[in-house]
Amino acid sequence: SSGINAEWPLRPGERVLSVDWAPKTNRIVTCAGDRNAYVWNWDAEKAEWKASLVLLRIERAATYVRWSPNEDRFAVGSGARLLSICYYDEEHDWWVSKHIKKPIRSTILCVDWHPNNYIVAIGSCDFKCRVFSSALKELDDKPEVSPWMAKLSKFSTLLAEFDTSDGWVHGVKFSPSGDKLAWVSHDSSINVVDMNTQDKVSRIVMASLPLNSVIWGSESSVICGGHDCYPVLYNLVGDNVVFGAKLDVNNKKADGGISAMARFKMMDSRGGAEKDNSTKLDTTHQNAIKELRVTKMAGAQLKQFSSVGKDGKLVIWDVDALVAAIQGLKL
Amino acid sequence: KQWYQRRLAITAGQEVTERAAEVKKLLNLTKNKDALKLALQNPPIGHQDPSVKEQNYETVLSVLKAFRTPEIDAAVGELSDADVDVLMKYLYKGFSNSPDKAAALLLWHEKAVKKGGVGCVIRVMVDRKGI
Repeated sequence: SSGINAEWPLRPGERVLSVDWAPKTNRIVTCAGDRNAYVWNWDAEKAEWKASLVLLRIERAATYVRWSPNEDRFAVGSGARLLSICYYDEEHDWWVSKHIKKPIRSTILCVDWHPNNYIVAIGSCDFKCRVFSSALKELDDKPEVSPWMAKLSKFSTLLAEFDTSDGWVHGVKFSPSGDKLAWVSHDSSINVVDMNTQDKVSRIVMASLPLNSVIWGSESSVICGGHDCYPVLYNLVGDNVVFGAKLDVNNKKADGGISAMARFKMMDSRGGAEKDNSTKLDTTHQNAIKELRVTKMAGAQLKQFSSVGKDGKLVIWDVDALVAAIQGLKL
Repeated sequence: KQWYQRRLAITAGQEVTERAAEVKKLLNLTKNKDALKLALQNPPIGHQDPSVKEQNYETVLSVLKAFRTPEIDAAVGELSDADVDVLMKYLYKGFSNSPDKAAALLLWHEKAVKKGGVGCVIRVMVDRKGI
């Protein structure tokens, strides 16, 4: 019920590129083309959000930001070809930014945290998907050996690098358990890897347009959205990524069909063509989906997700309703 | 590592030459569909010797030329997803290198899009190594 009331401290002409809300600590973090990030804290007394500047120390736009699962730190991808991991320094009352630079060669487009709170994955414009350790002594991280981290690795250690994509990596996401990693890229492909078999990336190249975002429906299915303007489900069957279903149930046009009178009028004025020449798509989104977000989970099963698109719409999708409406849909 | 790469390059070059001869044989026997599938195998993508790439391109073109228009649809229909991607790369190379053949290439393009979708075209657009 309250928007961001504080005056937005943004230089004219710069766009906010990414937002993330931390539900447990109720903090918002934003990052923008002005090379800054702000952490917003809710001031109950004044009923407004107060911005704290985070000095990222980067020389290019901050493109993507995500709070970690424990919400004690956040990761910012940028055009400066580095990942900033930021945490709050109590003693000095400010947000510290530490950089992960090598061997990232181009703009970072997406970031996702592993459930263990110190492993992080990124997708970038150099076509690679990478996994890093962001374990910090300052935050009392106690990393454990796992298939992602074969031996205890300090902050900024590259744990894995995948180069199966021929295009920019637009979206990356760990599965609910963190055991698998999926990413989508501009070569119209979906790539999935299991931490136990990192030399075997399951990959599907699609006939459709590239995807921008990916989330997990369960440990064995992913939901993606992109330039075709609808969310789509793919199942992991053995080593293969298999098309599941288009998740946009065809909705009748909002104007509810044309009356006989209107139809004849149209035929008269357009010379016989009965077809409605509108440019309206028959999907819910009228332009590319930019991002998908998980809004409700039941254990490792997705229950509800949201999508935002270049058409300015924010759509909430109910998984149970989709399962009921689409025959054979299985997550 | 350099020596190894040179060996790989020489073998790729040999493969392209051998393939050209094989494809010619198949075309002479009017086994056009088989010739197409063979021509699209293992393209010398990113090869440092441009003459190797040129030779393979000529091989593919010779096959495309051999087909009559009504045969194209069925031939493309039998290709694997990977083969359609390779075909599309050669079609776009054809558009830029052999504009005089554009009409024929467009016929193939229509069928390739029917099979591989716009995703197939996208993969040509993002390809940086060059076929």
